[in-house]
This record gives sequence, structure tokens and C-alpha cells, in this order.
Amino acid sequence: METDAEKNIQIWKVKKLIKSLEKARGNGTSMISLVIPPKGQISLIQKMLTDEYGTASNIKSRVNRLSVLGAITSTQQKLKLYTKVPPNGLVLYCGDIITEDGKEKKVTIDIEPYKPINTSLYLCDNKFHTEVLSELLEADDKFGFIVMDGQGTLFGLLSGNTRTVLHKFTVDLPKKHGRGGQSAVRFARLREEKRHNYVRKVAEVAVQNFITNDKVNVKGLILAGSADFKSDLAKSELFDPRLAAKIVKIVDISYGGENGFNQAIELSAETLANVKFIQEKKLITDYFDEISQDTGKFCYGIDDTLKALDLGAVETLIVFENLEIVRYVYKDSEEKEVVKFSTPGNEDTTIALDKETGQEMDLVEEQLLIEWLAENYKNYGANLEFVTDKSSEGAQFVTGFGGIGAMLRYKVNFEQLADDSEDEYYDDDEGSDYDFI
Amino acid sequence: MSEQDQGQNQAQGQGQNQQQGYYNYYNQQAGQQGNFQQQTGNYQQYYQNYNSQGGYQQYDQTAQGGQGYQNYNTQGYQAYPSYQGYQGYGQTGRGGYSNTRGGFKNSNQGYQGYQTYNQQPAYQAYDQQQFAQPQQTRGMTLDDFQKQKVGSTASTAPKPKKTLKLASSSGIKLVGAKKKPDEIEKKEETQKVAPKKEEASIDINESEHDSTKAPSENASNDLPDVAELKISEDKTAKTENQAAQSTPSANVSSADALIKEQEDEVDEEVVNDMFGGKDHLSIIFMGHVDAGKSTMGGNLLYLTGSVDKRTVEKYEREAKDAGRQGWYLSWVMDTNKEERNDGKTIEVGRAYFETEKRRYTILDAPGHKMYVSEMIGGASQADVGILVISARKGEYETGFEKGGQTREHALLAKTQGVNKMIVVINKMDDPTVNWDKERYDTCVQNLSNFLKAVGYNVKQDVIFMPVSGYSGAGLKDRVNEKDCPWYKGPSLLEYLDNMSHVDRHVNAPFMLPIASKMKDLGTIVEGKIESGHIRKGGSTLLMPNKTPVEILSIYNETESEVDMAVCGEQVRLKIKGVEEEDIAPGFVLTSPKNPVKNVTRFVAQIAIVELKSIISAGFSCVMHIHTAIEEVTITRLLHKLERGTNRKSKKPPAFAKKGMKIIALLETEEPVCVETYEDYPQLGRFTLRDQGTTIAIGKIVKILD
Repeated sequence: METDAEKNIQIWKVKKLIKSLEKARGNGTSMISLVIPPKGQISLIQKMLTDEYGTASNIKSRVNRLSVLGAITSTQQKLKLYTKVPPNGLVLYCGDIITEDGKEKKVTIDIEPYKPINTSLYLCDNKFHTEVLSELLEADDKFGFIVMDGQGTLFGLLSGNTRTVLHKFTVDLPKKHGRGGQSAVRFARLREEKRHNYVRKVAEVAVQNFITNDKVNVKGLILAGSADFKSDLAKSELFDPRLAAKIVKIVDISYGGENGFNQAIELSAETLANVKFIQEKKLITDYFDEISQDTGKFCYGIDDTLKALDLGAVETLIVFENLEIVRYVYKDSEEKEVVKFSTPGNEDTTIALDKETGQEMDLVEEQLLIEWLAENYKNYGANLEFVTDKSSEGAQFVTGFGGIGAMLRYKVNFEQLADDSEDEYYDDDEGSDYDFI
Repeated sequence: MSEQDQGQNQAQGQGQNQQQGYYNYYNQQAGQQGNFQQQTGNYQQYYQNYNSQGGYQQYDQTAQGGQGYQNYNTQGYQAYPSYQGYQGYGQTGRGGYSNTRGGFKNSNQGYQGYQTYNQQPAYQAYDQQQFAQPQQTRGMTLDDFQKQKVGSTASTAPKPKKTLKLASSSGIKLVGAKKKPDEIEKKEETQKVAPKKEEASIDINESEHDSTKAPSENASNDLPDVAELKISEDKTAKTENQAAQSTPSANVSSADALIKEQEDEVDEEVVNDMFGGKDHLSIIFMGHVDAGKSTMGGNLLYLTGSVDKRTVEKYEREAKDAGRQGWYLSWVMDTNKEERNDGKTIEVGRAYFETEKRRYTILDAPGHKMYVSEMIGGASQADVGILVISARKGEYETGFEKGGQTREHALLAKTQGVNKMIVVINKMDDPTVNWDKERYDTCVQNLSNFLKAVGYNVKQDVIFMPVSGYSGAGLKDRVNEKDCPWYKGPSLLEYLDNMSHVDRHVNAPFMLPIASKMKDLGTIVEGKIESGHIRKGGSTLLMPNKTPVEILSIYNETESEVDMAVCGEQVRLKIKGVEEEDIAPGFVLTSPKNPVKNVTRFVAQIAIVELKSIISAGFSCVMHIHTAIEEVTITRLLHKLERGTNRKSKKPPAFAKKGMKIIALLETEEPVCVETYEDYPQLGRFTLRDQGTTIAIGKIVKILD
């Protein structure tokens, strides 16, 4: 049985694949997307492909005909490798894609999804159809959030490791005012009316957002708010009973808006324990706790982390899923392998130079660091976790710590950390390096 | 007072174009010549001339803007006929003068200006400059058509001729001027006027005796008028041409500091007189839930007679019916249904009362944890904080535990600029306390240590007193000797009345962060004036949208309409030029001359007070600054500060922990109105909150565009 971590890596790989497939474009309608659900029959599909081959022979344009026929043939050949459909179904992509430099390249990709896929699809188009796979990623439970306070309401959705704001609006409710006078009663009445209208509006928008085709599209609903509005809403007759039945939790938060949304997620973490987003949040929070307690059992930045990996000290490796750093392997003048890291688009060519001779080294290998890690993390006895920058913690991890870090098994003293503390601070009159800002 | 003002405004309004043209003109000159001071002096005189014209126009209702313009030109350069007309006016129409003193006085100054004209050799230079100038302005063709007109008329006039004419004309003026001052003097002495202006008239007297002395005197007197000019100039710029605003401000920057000081001066005494010598103070009640804040506020109102007995009795009855006997005093402050039902304040309550010595606005902050953000908004409007501590057994302790609001409120008040703190140990009459000195002393001891840690100077800025909010003991009258023989200090009101005057910046640029708004036959905004003053009919700028708005009327705490309000007061303003929907709390009404900065990025020094884990770049939270609440992201950490010495680190820290001080770059989604802490402390300090706790306090060091 696969572990969770492995599954996550699977997911991450699928994500990457989808991205590259989405970008691919081909000539004419020669790109075949084929999805076979579990328990489908290979032979039936083969027959269908043969029929299609026959139909495609009638395509008038020679170029198009040839490429379609070629694609169908490749698909058939690929299918022959399978005796039966894998338990979770099968996804096949096949066709000639045009590369960046305008050349044609034949690709054939077969994927065994990590979750059962319940669609059947055969399409020839000028692009690959990846919706099925994307759906697969999003198939996690969805939770709706209604964050309601005196300033406005936010409708949010939490699903997998994504957090989306569906809708947001603001209101102006009259504040309490201590002036009194003859109009005090009138003001109170106006106030009540406005508040009532506000609740009504929220209830209506909630229906728009969380009910599609007369069905509730979320697994659970969380109401959050700072004052009594949320409970007013929950109790209100205006609130759709179908939605009311889905309320899993009502939480008290201090602000509305995005911040309130974050806090609401935090506060309902227990209820949502199975959601990936929460798990990710927890992981990074744990990591931050290590840092704040100064246990020394943490590292961040690419150099430290790889050092720790080499030492075998890494317990959990945390990597931002869109980390752009590329791992280059060079061969220097003495035929030794030198590993360098750089971000694409970095104009600095000095990394390719041999330290000894100043000559440019031969590039042996070029790979995204994250891919390399996904392949090799097991060799270092570490666990690999991918995180997004969707949660506030994730955002901090990515911007503040470079998107790569690790929790360690034991304390490691990195040289960089033992900085000369003597000159760590500027003198009083000295300007800052950041005065230009 | 107001009449005079309006007069000025009208006059200014009529001649705005000219002024602006002139001003640009002047700018160019300043740029060319580089001799700034001299220019200012000269320019000044022109302005005064203009002013005199303004006064004149006001008299003569038929004199329209265009006409005035002509007059102006001719007066400035060829002067004679219209000037004489004017003079004649002055002699024949003296009866009317008393009504419109402002215009008259200005004209006096104008005469004086002429005097200087003659005597100052600088004028020559100026004159020549002027001649060199017009050609250039034509070349530019950018600004007002008006300006060019001025330029062309000036250039057409032959140079030597003009000087001559001017000299003679001013000579005549002097004659005219000398006749008048005696009369004005009397009037001015009987009525309150800004001191500068008085001085000006005195100078005229002096110049009669000693004409050589006059120029130097005038030079000094000219300065405030530069300021005045600048105001009107900017008003023009605002309404007509936003872009033009940047040019003048850039050019006058060197004189800016000076000008800033003297924008439409108002005398302290005038302010004092306005309210029968009573100044205003905003106090905020804060403290843990159920410490008795609202009850104490209600009782104060009752004791000072701001709420009549009948109302309180009505509340008492109603409270009894609602099963909340004993809560009736807090019902005075808590007016909402929800608040009364739950017995907890949700929104900041406001009330007003008056003693023999002072006028007060009470702000009643909610003590509940959920509503701390409300409390911050309230604290930003307060001058003095009253920290209400319940001495009752158990309550006192919970207020102090981690997560108790006593700590948080004290800290927040400090960061919102409440520097004076009165700590009242409440519920001393409770059976568990019973005016026990020992209990009181422990409370005081603990609190002093704590407040010291927050940053209060306990000896100077904090005072402790035992009271009972419910029975009223120690609020208005001193505590009964029998109950409490050991406390001899003043009662709460006594102390407040005798507190030293809070520093007010009456003549600083006007700024009012909007705390709330409403619609009542127009747009009404509410807030505390943080600096400067505002007059009825004045025009201001609503930031961050740069909407020009006009103040239609000003209501003070008592709902009565006033003509002017000054720094420190809680006012409601009816404004014109903006819809209620287009305003949000946190917007700032500012003087158009010195609009508040409006940015999304700034560098700030942050002290982290409470944090579960760490802050690194990418951290987002909620920022409270004056009355605004804005989501903010720390995009970059720049330095950490060494403990004790506050020296900056060379390397940016990767993260910041609780207790650290850092300098960081902050970004907001929406533009916020802020200033650096150095310039305007009230608009430059902020609080960062996340997940319902206050995590950090900070001040803005640098504003980035």
C-alpha cells in the first residue's frame, strides 16, 4: 500500500504532467486523448480505434491524414502493452506536438491514475484534453465558507490544497451612535431593517454560490463571523434549508475578509482534518515551531537543506511545489561531476565556469531540482512533502524561506549560521543597505 | 469672524485664476533667478495687492472676476485709474467697511505692500525679471490661459514707464493708507483677530512714524501671507488642475516648513473663547469583559446630569423587566438591542458630558475579545485612557491572564497614542473586596509593573484610584471616608478636570481620519481632528480618492452647530462633494495644501509582542492604523534591531520571533492614508493583529510610492 507521502508525490507528478500537456499544441486534429474507465475492455477500444483509422483514411488533407493515422497507430501500439485495463482506469495521450523551435515531436503518454476515473473519452483535437485529470485532482471534499461580519461577507471554498474566494461583497450598516434624541427610535428601526436586509442578501448569495443544479455542491458549510450575524443567518428562515443542513461548524473570528477566512479555516481545522490544505498548514506550522523554539532541528535555503540531506539528517523535506530551481550537473576539467543550482532566466553564467581553470564546464545533466528530489529523496532516508503557497503559512514559507527547507532528526550546525556576531549590526550613524527603497 | 472669512474666500475664489497664473509665473522666476527669499518678498507684495483687490471686489458686488482681473493687472503694472477708483471708494464708502473688516484689512496690507515696493530695491530686480519672464511663459503655453494673459500684458507694458507709474501709484496709496489705520485699529482691538494681522496694522502705524523702518518689518509680516496664498493657490489647483499642484509644492519646498506653521493661523485664545474657556477631552473606557466600563460611563453621565433622572429610571424599570437588574446604568451606553440582551458592548459607544471645567467625550470600548478591533478604532480617537480593573475576586485575575483584555487594551491604547492612563480599580464596594486596602495595593502593584512593561511612565502618566462604578463612589465625589479611610486622592472627575492641558496642534495642517459616516440629509462624517482646525465652508480633500469636498456645517459633541472646530475635538461634519457610499472609515479629510500620503507600500519598524510561531516575508495579517483597518503583507524583512541599542543588523533576518524588533517592508492591497511617525504620530503608528490577537505594534519610518 502506498503511503500518503507517496500519493502526494504522485499527485504532484500528475499536476506537472497536466501543465505540460495543456501547453502542447499539434497540427490539425491529430492529438488523441483517450480515457478508459476501470473495467473497460481493451479489445473494444482497439476495435473502435481500427474503425477510426478507417474513417481517418478519408481525410482529404494529406498532412493531416498522415498525422492522424500515425497517432492512431501509436495509440494502438501503446494499448497493446496492456492486457487489461488497470484497476483505476487508463489515460492515454498521443500525437505530434510542435516544440518551441517549431519542430514536430511525437509523444505518447500513458497514465494509470491514482484514483478511479469514471469517464470514457475519445477525442481527436489540436490539443490534449486534460480536464479529466484535473478533475481527478480536485475531487477532494469541498467545504464552503461564509465569512460574515458588519462590513461585508466573503464566500470561500476549500478543496484539497486550494483555497478560493468565490464571492465577496461589502455592506454599509449603520453604526451605533450615542446621540439619541427624538430620532433614536427611528434610527434603531432603520438599523434593524438594514441588518435584516443584509442577512437576506447573504442568504441569497449563499444559494447562488453553494447550490448548483438544485444540489448543494459542498460537503460541509462553515459559518464564521465576528458578531451575531452568523448565528442570525444560521437561524434565519431566509437561509436555504438545504444549506442549513450542511452547516458543520460555526466559528467566531475577529475580522472579516481574507484574514477572517484564514482564521475560520484555522479554527475549523479539527472538522476539516482530512483536507489537504489543513495538513499542509499543520506541517508548515510545525516547521515554524521548530524555528521559533530555536531547536536547531531545522534548516532552510537550498545549500543548508542539501547539506542536511547528504548528512542524512533530514526527517521531512518540505518543498514548494512550483519551485523553479534547476539542478545542473557539470563535468569539470578533471572529469569530476560538479552540481550547481540556479533559477532559469538567471543570466549569471559564472556557475558554469570551472573554479580551477576558469573554463566553461560541460553540461551533463539539467533537471528541475524538485524532480530530482522526487526521484532521489528515498536515498537519503527522508520524507518528501510538497506544499503550496495558498495558505498564509505556505506563502511565508515560499517568500521568506525560499520554498525549500527541512525538519531534521538532530541538531546540525551549519557554518553559515555561526556568523560573526561582532559586526552583525550597523553603527548608529550608518545608513542601511536598503535606503534606496 | 465667519463673515470675514467668507469674504476672503469669495474674493479668493473670484480671483483664483489670476493667482494661479501669477503663481506659476512666480515659480518660474524662482527657478530662474534662484534668489528665493527676495522673490518671496516681492511676490508677497503682489499677493497683497491682489488681496486688497479681493476686499475691494467684495464691497462692490458688481466687480466681477474678469473685471477684478483687469483691475489687478492695471493696478499691478499700470495701476492708476482703477486704483484711484478704489481709493475713492475707500473714502466714500467707509461706512461699509466695518462690515467687511477682512477685506478692508487686507487692503491695508496691500498698501503696505506698496510701500515696501517703493523702498525695496529688490523690486527692481523683480520687475526686470518679470519682463524677462513673459516671453518664456508664452513659450511654455502649458498652464492657464490666464497666466499667459498676465504675461502678455506685462510684456506689452514698457519697462521704465511702468516702474515710474508704480512708484507714483504707491505713493498715492500710502496717503490713502495712512488715513485708514486709525479707524481700523479701534475695531481690531475690540474684536478678536488673528495676531498676525494685528501686527500688520501696528506696523502701518509704525511706518507712519518711521517709514524707513517699515520695509524690514513688512518682510517679516509678509510670511504668513505667503502661507495664505499657498492655501488658496492649492485650492485652485485642486478644483481646476490637479497637476498644477505638484509644481508649486515642489518649488516652495524650502519654505514649506515655515508655511506649514502658518497656514491660516488661529489664536489659542480665540479657540478658548469659543467654548467659554472649556477645552475638550476624549476619554476611553477600556478593560476586561465585565469590568464595569459601560456602567461607569453610564454613571458618569448620570452624575453629571447629561442623562436625566427620568431616563435612567426608565432604563432601571426596563432592565428589571428584562431580567437584568443592576445593568441599567450600562444601558445608557449600550443602546443596541443585542448589546442590552447580552449585557456586553459590541460597538464603541459615545457620549458627551460637561463639567464646570471641561467638555468630555466618552468612548466606551467593548471588552470582549472578539471586538478588540472595535476598541482600537475607539482608542485612536481618545486622549486619555481609563483602564477599568475589576477588583472582585476572580475577575481581576482573569483579566490579567494570557488572553485577558487588560493587557491587550493597555498595549493597544499606548500604540494608538493614548499616553495618559487613569487606572481605576472598580467594584471596590463588592463584598469580596469591601474597600480592602490590601487588595487595592496588590492590584496597583501588579498593574504598575505591567504598565511599565508596556511603555507607560508610571510615575508621570499613570494614576490609580479606587472607585465603584455602580454606586458612583469616587467618580464625581470623593470616596466616603467611612468606607475608605486610606484613600485621600481626588475623585475621577476631579482628576480629569485638573489634568494638564493636552498639547494641541491647532495651526498644523488639517487632518481628520473618518471614524464613521452616515446619511442625514447629506453626507455626514464623524471623527476626531488629529491636527489643525477646520472652518465652516472650508474646502478639504478626502483621501485616498483625492475628492475635493466642502464643509457645509460642523457639529460638535452637543449636536450644536459651530463655525470652527480645532484639533482634539470630536466632530461631525456635513460635507458636500462626495456620496456617503464613496466613503469608508479610515479615509482622511485633509487640507488640500498638505494632503496626507496615500500609499500601498511603506517601511516600518515593528516590535513583535505576541506570536505563536514566526514572521517571515510573506506573512499577512490585519493592520490597524488610525481608524483604518487594512489587510497587510510583510513583503520583505530588512533589518532586525539589536536589543537595547536598536542598531540595525547588516543582514536581513530570515524570520522574526516574539520579542524581536525588526524593520520591514509592508504592502497593503488597497491604498491607505498614512504618514511617517515622525511627521504625524497619530497617522504613523499601527497595530498588527492576526487570529484575534495583537501580534505586533509598529511605526512607519518611510513612505514609498
